[in-house]
Amino acid sequence: MSFIIQTINGLSLAALLFLLSAGFTLTFGLMRVVNLAHGALYLIGGYVGLSVVWTTDNFWLGIVAGGFFVVVLAALIDRFLIRPTGENHLAQVLLTVGVAIVIADIALAIWGGDNLRVPTPEMLRGPIFLPGDIIYPRYRFVLILFGLAAAVIMWVLYRRTQIGAIVRAGVDDREMASALGININLLFALVFAVGAFLAGVAGVVGGAFLTLYPGVEWEILILALVVVIVGGLGSLEGAIVGSVIVGLIDAYGRWLMPEMSYFVIFAPMAVLLLVRPTGIFGQEH
Amino acid sequence: MPERGALTLIFVAALVATVPLFAGDFWVSLTIKILVLGLLALSVDLLLGHAGLLSLCHAAFFAMSAYTVAILQVRYGVPMLIAVPAGLAMGTLLALVFGVSVRTRGVYFILVTIALGFIVWGVTYRWASFTGGDNGITNVPYPAIGDFQITSMTAYFYVVLLVVLGCVLAYRTLVRSPFGLVLRGLKSSESRMRSLGYSPLRHLYVAFVLSGFMASLAGVLYIYFNRFVNPATAHFHISVEAVLMAILGGTGTILGPFLGSVVIMVLRNWVSGFFPYYMTLMGLVFIVTVLFAPNGIIGLVNSWRARRARRAKTTDAVGTEPEAQPRPQP
Amino acid sequence: MRAGTANSAALELTGVTKRFGGLVAVDDVSLTVRPGERHILIGPNGAGKTTLFNCITGTFWPSSGQIRFFDVDVSRLAERDRARLGIGRTFQISNVLVELTVSENLILAVLGRDRRKWMMHKPFADLGAVADSVGTALATVRLDHRLNDPVASLSYGERKQLDLALALAMEPRALFLDEPCAGLAPSERQRVSQIIGELPDDITVVMIEHDMDIALRLAERVTVLHQGQVIFEGSPDEVETDTQVREVYFGSG
Repeated sequence: MSFIIQTINGLSLAALLFLLSAGFTLTFGLMRVVNLAHGALYLIGGYVGLSVVWTTDNFWLGIVAGGFFVVVLAALIDRFLIRPTGENHLAQVLLTVGVAIVIADIALAIWGGDNLRVPTPEMLRGPIFLPGDIIYPRYRFVLILFGLAAAVIMWVLYRRTQIGAIVRAGVDDREMASALGININLLFALVFAVGAFLAGVAGVVGGAFLTLYPGVEWEILILALVVVIVGGLGSLEGAIVGSVIVGLIDAYGRWLMPEMSYFVIFAPMAVLLLVRPTGIFGQEH
Repeated sequence: MPERGALTLIFVAALVATVPLFAGDFWVSLTIKILVLGLLALSVDLLLGHAGLLSLCHAAFFAMSAYTVAILQVRYGVPMLIAVPAGLAMGTLLALVFGVSVRTRGVYFILVTIALGFIVWGVTYRWASFTGGDNGITNVPYPAIGDFQITSMTAYFYVVLLVVLGCVLAYRTLVRSPFGLVLRGLKSSESRMRSLGYSPLRHLYVAFVLSGFMASLAGVLYIYFNRFVNPATAHFHISVEAVLMAILGGTGTILGPFLGSVVIMVLRNWVSGFFPYYMTLMGLVFIVTVLFAPNGIIGLVNSWRARRARRAKTTDAVGTEPEAQPRPQP
Repeated sequence: MRAGTANSAALELTGVTKRFGGLVAVDDVSLTVRPGERHILIGPNGAGKTTLFNCITGTFWPSSGQIRFFDVDVSRLAERDRARLGIGRTFQISNVLVELTVSENLILAVLGRDRRKWMMHKPFADLGAVADSVGTALATVRLDHRLNDPVASLSYGERKQLDLALALAMEPRALFLDEPCAGLAPSERQRVSQIIGELPDDITVVMIEHDMDIALRLAERVTVLHQGQVIFEGSPDEVETDTQVREVYFGSG
């Protein structure tokens, strides 16, 4: 029984992690930019969504607002900070760490240091009764469906559409893609925007059950990092599989050995690194 | 016989040694922090400035040794003479394990070290029954050998200064040795080094472990200064700060990381007294450094000197400013 | 192929094949090089010459086949271990340690096969015997006057010379030179080919070269590679008259 509940727990975290890591991994695949401010985008998206929910009492509006606020913010960061460094990826990593620190500090000044929970609408509150007499929080169960839908949509967009084919071409070989007349800059902006939107949405959605507090930006980023290290940087399939693996391990770890749960997540990552440094779906770049 | 570079370092240390003569406890304690975190930044720079690897997990070694000493002393009453070697050993052991990360390069290495660093933070935070959780371990005794105890800030200041000076001199020997040259060669072109008979993995692994050992040493110095330790010591922010110090001061140099430490520590401990947004300030320093001064303070000074030397040369030729002799570059 | 009797061959390739996914870059190459021989590898672009070099020097392993170097099977040895056995190489696009000085580059080359590369307690500048090897290698490639200069200040031609000096400084038994004259001005080509001509006789030299004048002047044996396969092996005189070679290489019937 608790095994099933823990599995559902793990899957709901996996859904959240997928929202976060999809953008992270595609941004890397396409631009080689490792955006360590991704966790801070999650945080600020969550806070903005929270404020919108507080004032309008509309959860859905909060999600959209959080997503779009982060899109605008990310576009500014991209345009004025990341682009000027060109291809210096080491500098970009450091730069995004600085950005993350600034965003988190500003968020602290505005929203304070307490744990804040994004209020959920009536229809998502309360328990849900699953077959086998399992009672589970409705919100987290719906989140799994939401994550699943997001994964399916992203995967279909990526693998089965024209725009997805262009993105894949860009991931495989940028020079070739631009030689074929694809507007690489527009493509980058698009993927960056989608990734940022998902991060902002994840902040609101995650804030409703993990709560928002200073420091969560790194905790959540680190889980997304493990997801992409396990799945392979730059791979959408890797993000899907990695999210499920990390989500489940985290849930079982918290359940079976709560004090060592952090260790439990990272151990498979370390082993994988020894065997296959580029992750399950990763390729040499 | 020590030559010029070493003498310069000893001279700087002698200058620092005069701090307690004219400054109060606040500044003495700040100087200790500067030295200890400067040592941590120097350990990061062995990998960053010489081998070209940007590690973001050094807070882990720092905290590992600090926690080991604290737990042994406070919980088990183990004397300092045993607790200190044990702390160093545990920090180094951790580096032996985390060293697997040298299988990766570039951004992968950064990501892997971030993730590894968070393990230690997560353990200090969640394994509350052993590490004290959020509260950490308090009331670490003063450093003592038998009945001889160091209780005054000034006395401990000199202990720290001596240890750091010894470390710096050893570090200087290391980076000038064939081993240090190999690291710089690997930073420049691994494929060439492999074809010359080198194993990048082995050299980088040893460098990683040495660097972890240095960070552990900084952790031991820190715990007897701070006399308590909590998860914040292991946090990613500390690793970031150490990297920032190294870059801000100038990577690949010895004084650089300490210069960076001066700037950051003064910002954190003095400026934060009247300006509450210390973290924003640090983030901005980070951004500005990366964008505009990637070679740090020492890089700026060097290029300024080079410019001045060029200008002096041209004015010399005209003969208007005969006293403006360019300083010879060391 | 003539089976090499024991200790007769410097290099002996048997059925060496390298596949990248579906692409066969090197296809069943068998080749023997005598000690001290000057052996030139030619062939059109994409013939698999550099890939074959990378298989021999250990950048990657062949998919199948065997590589023997002075009667040691090196097919599955790491690149560094092959270097320690005496395989030295240069690169098509000069591969030197750009952030260091010329002398630091060469000290590293000398130390590559030396345990002192692990030494931590003494400045590398104080290794007396190393300086002699550095000087010899530098004199051979005529870069003595650049000893203390940073590599960043070297011209491309000088970097190619340094690349060669690095391979020489490790005192190799065989040198694998990947287009040592590529990208050089005519006068620099002249100098580099002279340097190669004056290399000590006991060093076996295998060289990829596009410049036929240089190639045929230096060569004792010539192997022609086309689409990953050996289509000709013989003396420089024979290669000029071979019709198949003329067809694929010179593009005339």
